[in-house]
Amino acid sequence: MLIYREPLPEDCPPETAEEIDSPRIVYRRVWNAPPIDDDFRSQRAENPGKEFKGVSECRVRGLSVFVEREDLETLLKRPNFGGGQIVQVALDNGAGAIEHTSRHTSHHTWWPLAAYDILARCQVT
Amino acid sequence: MKTIRPTAILDYYDGVQIFEGRDAIGGHYIGVFVDVVDKVDQYLVTGAVPERLRQYRSGLLDLRTLLLEAPGGEWYLTLSDGSGGKEFILKPQSGPLIDKEDFLPLPGLLLDDDPIDDQALREARERHNIVFEFRVQPPEAAAAPRVRADTLAGLLQRLQTLLKCAGESVAREMPPSQRPADAAALCLMDVAVPAAPDSFRVLLEAAAPLDTFGPRLLFRSLERVDALFAAAADPEQAVELLKPYPPSLTAAYGKLLRFLDEQQTSLWYAWAEPTCRDASYSGVSAATAGRLSQELESAAVKTPA
Repeated sequence: MLIYREPLPEDCPPETAEEIDSPRIVYRRVWNAPPIDDDFRSQRAENPGKEFKGVSECRVRGLSVFVEREDLETLLKRPNFGGGQIVQVALDNGAGAIEHTSRHTSHHTWWPLAAYDILARCQVT
Repeated sequence: MKTIRPTAILDYYDGVQIFEGRDAIGGHYIGVFVDVVDKVDQYLVTGAVPERLRQYRSGLLDLRTLLLEAPGGEWYLTLSDGSGGKEFILKPQSGPLIDKEDFLPLPGLLLDDDPIDDQALREARERHNIVFEFRVQPPEAAAAPRVRADTLAGLLQRLQTLLKCAGESVAREMPPSQRPADAAALCLMDVAVPAAPDSFRVLLEAAAPLDTFGPRLLFRSLERVDALFAAAADPEQAVELLKPYPPSLTAAYGKLLRFLDEQQTSLWYAWAEPTCRDASYSGVSAATAGRLSQELESAAVKTPA
């Protein structure tokens, strides 16, 4: 049985998510240098009571990452989105499941497995 | 007390970044994440003229301009703490929004996201066929979900032509023994649902049953069309990509892009077949369609057939 970093609801990750079984790089915004575990907490872990109509419980328990660094750089133009820094994270077999969750950008939602040592695979870029 | 109900999530990164909402009398609003207050997300909300909101969704207007054009200059802050149930309670703010630089995005920030749903894949599985779903955002749709008959007919005709030309270009690359006699006919699609109830989404399904040769060719044609749209944001790359293909494909693509530009509408689509793991998503904003259309015309002038 797969044990994820955070408890997930039933049917999560969704059937459409891909189990990561080969190397790839993703990018995420973090607040700490070097990154710490808290930089990889889901929205649900950050805000247990938070709800937003139209956003599934599964999704708020995943982490937002981008495959293309430029897409994340674009986000930094948003109000109050500035700050923090971009890290690249090496994903490989055992990293968990991932799903492409945007039509036009490389935004993905990642559900990491508990045993995957994220910090050891982070690199500030 | 004014409240709004979120109607669409326009951008997401570790939470909702931008959303669209409506008030009780149908007024349009845009909400943008600005801060976290006591572990609750705070959003800047302004009213929005439907046509300007449509232009923002189509990539023709930047977010800063949309926010600063709020009717009456009114702007609000709201918290997603659930105190309004599924609605957001708007707290009016004083002073011009232009003075609140911390809340405003930099100029030039266009909407480039559109969260995925899986309608195309669901329909493909239910119908056991290739399904292609698209959405457009023409000016007449700003206030209500509708589309001019001319626009819809023009889009359907140009999309079908593009698919047939893509199918013929795929067929030319096949060994003669496997090449279908009439590739274009194998790429025909039927309008399966003229328009979904809450929008002007259009669903097409392969005209031929899935177990014939037709849909396989259509599958590859759709992949070819995906490749064209994937390069749309980089006109030089797009021109290079088209070079190996027959001029008819370039012409069909150019006509569709020009049509989108003339109608000032973006085109976003998804397609899937029943066994797909994920639907394939692509499309182009009205602004990108205009730029690329000009580039293709310019390239055609430089290299006459």
